[in-house]
Amino acid sequence: MTNGEHIRDEEFLLLAAGALPEEECAAQRAHAAGCAECAAKLAEARGQAAVLAFLAPQERPAATIKAELFARIRAEREADHRYRWPTKSEKEVSAPKTAEGLGRTGAVTTRHPKWEWVLVPVAVALLVAAVVEWRENQRLSTELGNANRQIVDLMNERQRTQMLVDVLSAGDTVSVKLASTPEMAKAWGTVQYNAGKGMVLYSAVLPPLPEGKTYQMWLVPKSGAPISAGVFSPAHGARQLWTAEVPLNTEVKAFAVTIEPAGGVPQPTGPKVLLGAS
Amino acid sequence: MRLEGSTGELVSDWLLLERVVQKDESALSALYDRYSGLVFSEAKRILRDTGAAEEILQDLFYQIWRTAERFDEARGSLAGWLLVAARNRAISRLRRKTGKIEELGENGVSLKVDLESIAAQNILLHKVRAVMGSLPEGQRQAVEFAYFEGMSHTEIAEKTGQPLGTVKTRIRSAMETLKQVLG
Repeated sequence: MTNGEHIRDEEFLLLAAGALPEEECAAQRAHAAGCAECAAKLAEARGQAAVLAFLAPQERPAATIKAELFARIRAEREADHRYRWPTKSEKEVSAPKTAEGLGRTGAVTTRHPKWEWVLVPVAVALLVAAVVEWRENQRLSTELGNANRQIVDLMNERQRTQMLVDVLSAGDTVSVKLASTPEMAKAWGTVQYNAGKGMVLYSAVLPPLPEGKTYQMWLVPKSGAPISAGVFSPAHGARQLWTAEVPLNTEVKAFAVTIEPAGGVPQPTGPKVLLGAS
Repeated sequence: MRLEGSTGELVSDWLLLERVVQKDESALSALYDRYSGLVFSEAKRILRDTGAAEEILQDLFYQIWRTAERFDEARGSLAGWLLVAARNRAISRLRRKTGKIEELGENGVSLKVDLESIAAQNILLHKVRAVMGSLPEGQRQAVEFAYFEGMSHTEIAEKTGQPLGTVKTRIRSAMETLKQVLG
């Protein structure tokens, strides 16, 4: 395709799915920028491809991220309000006396010659005061941010505890024991799964893994590919409980833990170390 | 924070955006609650890095706050723009490229499905997963390599050992199936 030709119909979906090399993408975007017909088709194809995002395991971001976003917005609004340059109308309102004085050529210097030298140290003092105030504001903003984060952490912890109670006390929560496979003797784990709430709670006793490896929990649905319920690293001697949100109402036939590269993988690749049928 | 209007109806993205233009934080908060899960999940799936996904999420909503007035309803859907922009930024970061930051309003995304309620999102989630789960493995894999790994058709062909033409056909077929099911 050149910039003068329309994008071929079969290329829109490849472009939207992200499968075209960068140079071809750039050429097609450049064409669409000046061609209403191709821009409309491309927008439609992008919309079709965008729903692929739903294939990602759905997770909620930590509440601290929202708190930080709004702290950032408020800090910016406050800074804009405090330090913004006066608008033309504000200057006109606040400066009539100055304008009047300057209108008389030489009037300022001839009327206040003895005071002029005072202006330099006053300006320096004002500058120092402004810097001190700015640093104090920074310190207070940091303290406020830390306090907000602590509040959000406490709220998160409270929500998490409530969620654990809800899942563990629900009549439709299924409890599954995970047994070790020959790959890893003496390991064990338990899973609490509530399909209606889309929640998985699990704990496991497993040996530490070498660097670059992690354990990953999987739901094995009655149909379809395994669904990740997160990666975890058990601490030696500690009883830990991990939680994960999974698609609602997934019918599960088994749960499994595998060893995977750090960060986890979209589908299991490593050896199973724990397994339990639902 | 109010997701609903005074009569209980769901407030549309456009009305919320208009309120964001007026610097109404509760409107941005409602949009965040509506779409942050989707955006974060998509970015995290691509990057496999919680911190980096959180950064993209926060930057996108900060951009909405700063430039909401540039968004033009006629050019498409806010939800679509968010999903496409999140993917582009995550892929750029994954592939260590410095891409141009998408402006609100450019690169229109026409999303023909409603995502303005969590219930609608859940319905679409199950629909998309059911469609993709029903596809032949090769088609599904090719689309996932392209969308989530940012691989071009040539790179997918090299990785899977399939001819380039086969890879292109698989991606088109998968996308066509998705298109028909979503309507």
